[in-house]
Amino acid sequence: MAFILRRLVFYSVAIFVAITFNFIMPRLMPGDPVDAMFAAAGGKLPPETLAAYQEMLGFVDAPLWQQYLQYLKSVVTFDLGPSIMLFPTPVTQVLSNTLPWTVFLAGTATILAIFIGCFIGLYASYNRGGFVDKYVPVFWQFVASMPQAVTALLIFFVFALTLKWFPLGFGFNPDMEPAVTPGFIGTILYHAVLPLVTLVLSMIATWVFTMRNSMVNVLGEDYIAMAKAKGLSARRIMTHYAARNAILPVVTAVSMALGFAVAGQVFIETVYNYPGVGQLIIKAVAARDYPLMQACFLLIVICVLIANFIADILYVWLDPRLRK
Amino acid sequence: MKTLLSIIGGIAGFYQGNAAGIIGTTIVAIIVVMCLSAPALTEYDPNKRVARGHEPPSAEHIMGSTRAGKDVWSQALYGGRVSLMVAFAAATVTSIIALAIGVSAGYFGGRIDETLMAVTNVMLVFPQLPLLIILAAFLGNVGPFIIALILGLTSWPWGARVMRSQTLAIRNKEFITAAEIMGESKWRIIVVEIMPNLISLAAGMFVGTALYAIGAQAGLEFLGLGDPTVISWGTMLYWAQSSAAFFVGAWWDFLVPGTFIALIGGGLALINISIDEVSNPKLKTGSYLKKWRRLNAEVQAKRREA
Repeated sequence: MAFILRRLVFYSVAIFVAITFNFIMPRLMPGDPVDAMFAAAGGKLPPETLAAYQEMLGFVDAPLWQQYLQYLKSVVTFDLGPSIMLFPTPVTQVLSNTLPWTVFLAGTATILAIFIGCFIGLYASYNRGGFVDKYVPVFWQFVASMPQAVTALLIFFVFALTLKWFPLGFGFNPDMEPAVTPGFIGTILYHAVLPLVTLVLSMIATWVFTMRNSMVNVLGEDYIAMAKAKGLSARRIMTHYAARNAILPVVTAVSMALGFAVAGQVFIETVYNYPGVGQLIIKAVAARDYPLMQACFLLIVICVLIANFIADILYVWLDPRLRK
Repeated sequence: MKTLLSIIGGIAGFYQGNAAGIIGTTIVAIIVVMCLSAPALTEYDPNKRVARGHEPPSAEHIMGSTRAGKDVWSQALYGGRVSLMVAFAAATVTSIIALAIGVSAGYFGGRIDETLMAVTNVMLVFPQLPLLIILAAFLGNVGPFIIALILGLTSWPWGARVMRSQTLAIRNKEFITAAEIMGESKWRIIVVEIMPNLISLAAGMFVGTALYAIGAQAGLEFLGLGDPTVISWGTMLYWAQSSAAFFVGAWWDFLVPGTFIALIGGGLALINISIDEVSNPKLKTGSYLKKWRRLNAEVQAKRREA
């Protein structure tokens, strides 16, 4: 329990740092972001809104600590003002429309990559020095070392544009009415195939290596020798003795991988025109929509922290040594 | 002279029987040499309009031309210089920071360790790319120099953690205690006694960060956050994307920079794998294992006969 509590404190501090970062950035920048923003919005905005933004981004005369408290309050109460790009929709509403897509994509891809990658890693360590062990991890590493933007562009070009097997973009068929019907779920899945494949391809290597290297270390332990001496089948030793213990470093690696998945999300959503937070943040940057951009950043950070926390809980569940 | 020979011997030893390392180094070396000797490999100025827009590859323009009629091959070579410079600059900055923080945290311990690691862990848990996007957005279209700087200043936490744990492992060895008893200064112990033992890890970190920086720079520029007037692999992708090269069938426009990035990434990744295997021989695979198996089988067979 102490472990979980310590992690909770840590994550609160991290969120606090992210909020502070958001608060400081516009105040440090040369020039006036509000002016730039309004120039970009082309006079769509009423003057009251201008004043509100100036207050939010720090171009008022109040002392800094007062501004900071004000900002904290607006974050905690989810009152982040209207988006500029999609004026007058509130930022929070824009975000809640896009978040499910990103969580769906990143979550599914991470889980798929963990399963496939761990399985390959397990198999490679099971046949040390065999074909799979020699070439397959290196192959995946090669694939993963291509920047996600490049992988996404290549897959998009081949499978969506040239072969026309998959759609050119969006989360679902825009001609269909959103509803919980088999047809609509089908179009969601159909549109998610290429983004998912791209994301999974770029993530598998991490898990192959983590699992294989962790297995290699575990296989040197005495209890494995003991299990062999007992005459258990190799398969049983692998799955019930080695893999169960080798999985711990995999769980720790989840936190690293999530940041990576989110990063991939930004490129993949941009290339496939997928309606998630990753694409939104880029659009917000292009439109100089600072409130929306900052809210996206905060949301991504919070999502990653929550996922990290889940990984921590899993870790405690898997490793009884932490449960004192 | 003697040290030089031992360095060469060390390098030769690293590559012996290390296919991944050899292939990786060859790929990276070829690309670096190609970019450095760009003027000899192409006659065109990457900034000048030398052809019609989106001309397919031909004898005259071996990799075709961009929408603006610039030679793609020449752009890829000259642009590669910028991309490689950014990657190596960022990796250098990162390695220095990670070494400094990791070693001081590990060696001094106590309050210093706690503070440094708290900062490191918070930095580590932040998703990096969104952070970079926000920074780049507030800084305005960032040039290669700024990109190298922000990449260098944000990617050290992982390296610092690795360095710290290695320093902790070394710190309690006898030779450090001996140096302390002899009254060596703390700085001498850090620089002369500890650092040399971290070189292989630092090399791995350098290569890993360079790999990451190539991708991150290309990504940021592809997303339009870089300075589009500077030619690099990332901005080439950006222009290919924004000139709809896909939809008009000009595959060469994005395939050429994409291939360069993929190759250098793959090359660096192979080097990284081989460094990992050298510093942790347990992870080795391939011919050594086969030999071990064969010998082991022979021994077992003999035992059975006996």
